[in-house]
Amino acid sequence: MRKILILHVNDNVAVALTDISQGELISQDEYLFTAKDNIARGHKLATRNISINEGIIKYGERMGHATSEIRTGEHVHVHNVLGDRLSSEVK
Amino acid sequence: MSHSPIRAYLRPNGSWGLRNHVLVLPLHSALSSSARAIEDACPGAVAITHDWSGEVDGDLQRIIRILAGFASNPNNFATIFLSLGSANEEEIIAQAENLGLANVVHLSLPHIGSTKLLIDVGIREASDLLVRAHEQIRIEAPWSAIVLGLECGGSDALSGITANPALGVASDRLVELGAMSVLGETTEILGAEHLLAARAITQDIGQRIIETVARYEKSINYEGIDLRGAQPSRGNIEGGLSTLEEKSLGAAKKAGNAQLSGVLEYAEIPPARGLYFMDTPGHDIEQLTGYAAGHINIVVFTTGRGTPTGSAIMPVIKVATNSPMAMKLSDLIDLDAGSIADGMETLAEVGTRIFDEIIRIANGCETKAEISGNHEFALSRMYKTIVSYDA
Repeated sequence: MRKILILHVNDNVAVALTDISQGELISQDEYLFTAKDNIARGHKLATRNISINEGIIKYGERMGHATSEIRTGEHVHVHNVLGDRLSSEVK
Repeated sequence: MSHSPIRAYLRPNGSWGLRNHVLVLPLHSALSSSARAIEDACPGAVAITHDWSGEVDGDLQRIIRILAGFASNPNNFATIFLSLGSANEEEIIAQAENLGLANVVHLSLPHIGSTKLLIDVGIREASDLLVRAHEQIRIEAPWSAIVLGLECGGSDALSGITANPALGVASDRLVELGAMSVLGETTEILGAEHLLAARAITQDIGQRIIETVARYEKSINYEGIDLRGAQPSRGNIEGGLSTLEEKSLGAAKKAGNAQLSGVLEYAEIPPARGLYFMDTPGHDIEQLTGYAAGHINIVVFTTGRGTPTGSAIMPVIKVATNSPMAMKLSDLIDLDAGSIADGMETLAEVGTRIFDEIIRIANGCETKAEISGNHEFALSRMYKTIVSYDA
């Protein structure tokens, strides 16, 4: 069973297809890395290192930006991502 | 064009009903209990209730349009209007007739004299109309008889991968065959509007969708609201959605890849075959009401967290984005698209199942929401309610 789903070649995040535990090895197609957090099914994890303010790309489209450095295998969610629009940070 | 398997009710103005309702519609909130009493006494009739009390404010024309459109939806064989006899109520009835409603009964409380009598007369009229409705038969209909509304609510991160793109497959196929399909929820295309604009059949239409979203974004900024906490909602965030743009990119998948034929105002009726976008709020029930008022006659509603929401006059098919929820809330869910995330089925396979389900339900089989009698209704307002009446 596949553990992650990459929706577009340009994406820097993948979707967990199953609950993934911290330390679990992800070895699928050209991807080989260790999950750095517990990641619930449906949540996202970084498939490469993402720098602060860099765009988060899913479906091949920008869905927001990183608010801190994110390493490959880390959980990508509201603690390290903010939308570009309609958020109080951007005025 | 392939032969359509659809069998539906042909209305005198040439539109098609997938249901054959006798609707009891109070035109003033004070008549809501009377409408319910008539519905309760007449199995087969349906009533809705609402909170409009004839206020004359910035929303007046919008509310007249919603109630007239809802009353004249082709899924209604007839509508019994209950009124307090005001000019605005008369206007709603006149507009409903202009929009194609053929069987109209108007019961005015001041004219009849008591609510008890109003209910008695209403029951007699509803019973007569139900007998006439039962005499109607379904006949072979073209693909254009399907006017599909696309909706999602309680989204999770699987919505954009399973149920929404699978619904997009079904929508694309119906549009290609000659049906109409309508995407809504302006809140939930914010961040994906450029993708829809690029698919518009003219530059003008593309520009309109960009402007519709910009108008919404400006109104939110003007109100000084920070949408974080509301969009994505707490439930969305628990489900794995991090930003509104992410939710929108997934939500827009419901509309497949078809070209965009036009942008509709809230409750506006799509003019011809094709895919449309309707400017509706992200509120599921206000959105469904706008669809019904825009003469959409069937809805597919994708959901990650599950919801019982239904309509008094449109069948609403629930598609689950994930299998655990589909199993847990099996009395709400008509179809499970979660198998895509498990690698058990392809998008095309689930898309075909949704397409087949739309036809089955269009032809008269009932949805879970219809079986459970879910009749939600909500008026969408733009302004504060100002207490001033025309009576």
